[in-house]
Amino acid sequence: MPPAPLPDAVCSIVIRVPIETVWNEITKTGSVQRPLYNTLLDIDLTPGGRLRYSSPDRKRVFIAGEVLEVDPPRLLKHTYLFAMKPEAATVVTWELTAVPEGTRVTLRHAGWTDAHTAPEKHAAGWTEILGLLKSELETGDIPAKTKLVYRMQGLFLWAMPKTTKASYADEQGW
Amino acid sequence: MQRTRPDASDDLDDVWRALSNAVRRRILDLLVEGPLTTGDLSERFPDLSRFAVMQHLKVLEQADLVVPRRSGRERHNYLNPVPVQRIYERWVCRYMRPWTDALTSLRHEMEQREAQGA
Repeated sequence: MPPAPLPDAVCSIVIRVPIETVWNEITKTGSVQRPLYNTLLDIDLTPGGRLRYSSPDRKRVFIAGEVLEVDPPRLLKHTYLFAMKPEAATVVTWELTAVPEGTRVTLRHAGWTDAHTAPEKHAAGWTEILGLLKSELETGDIPAKTKLVYRMQGLFLWAMPKTTKASYADEQGW
Repeated sequence: MQRTRPDASDDLDDVWRALSNAVRRRILDLLVEGPLTTGDLSERFPDLSRFAVMQHLKVLEQADLVVPRRSGRERHNYLNPVPVQRIYERWVCRYMRPWTDALTSLRHEMEQREAQGA
């Protein structure tokens, strides 16, 4: 029996900053993106370009993928491979729209099936990420509790599955 | 870094207003399972006119609880979990304090052990 498709996860938030500010933050490379669970993004912003969300020292890769579509500052669409438990790739779409109050950010995560492990966890993750993005861009800060969680995560990187090692990602050609 | 005042919608008035109605809560119950077109939703409320259902959807959209997406000629309504997350973070999350305290203690303990060369 082929896996049955599940509905896309969609979440949306309005952030009171200009669209370019949001775009620059979510495509930022070279320094850590706090709203994206404190990861470092490497991305080649062209269709077919490679994408990786890594630990700040780049020793661990958490998400790998390929850019499918990019239209700054409105759209970024890429495949999504979860290194902690690699399964069939899914598709993430960031859609930014200028609105009177600032920018509406809509995140769609598609391609889930009942063969995937815990798609609802990724959906919940995006909900949290959008909230952190709003906080980061509107106030310049994120909650103390989240910063504490990041410090704890940093302490336990050594315990993560070997599929998250950068060397493993390199071997897989991610 | 630009610092703006806290969002005027921080009290989440629109969200509470949207949630205060039984029909709208039922609509959200249905959308939790997956997106539905306005027609699909209307069918689930045989005692309401399509117009009435659309009015309720409008209130839900205003509160950002529902995000519409066009697919061809149809309008798919998706549940947006973000406002509920914000309610949770604002009014419920303080109960996480024991957990964060436990983590802080764990960290101190580990740092002490490191220092002692355990």
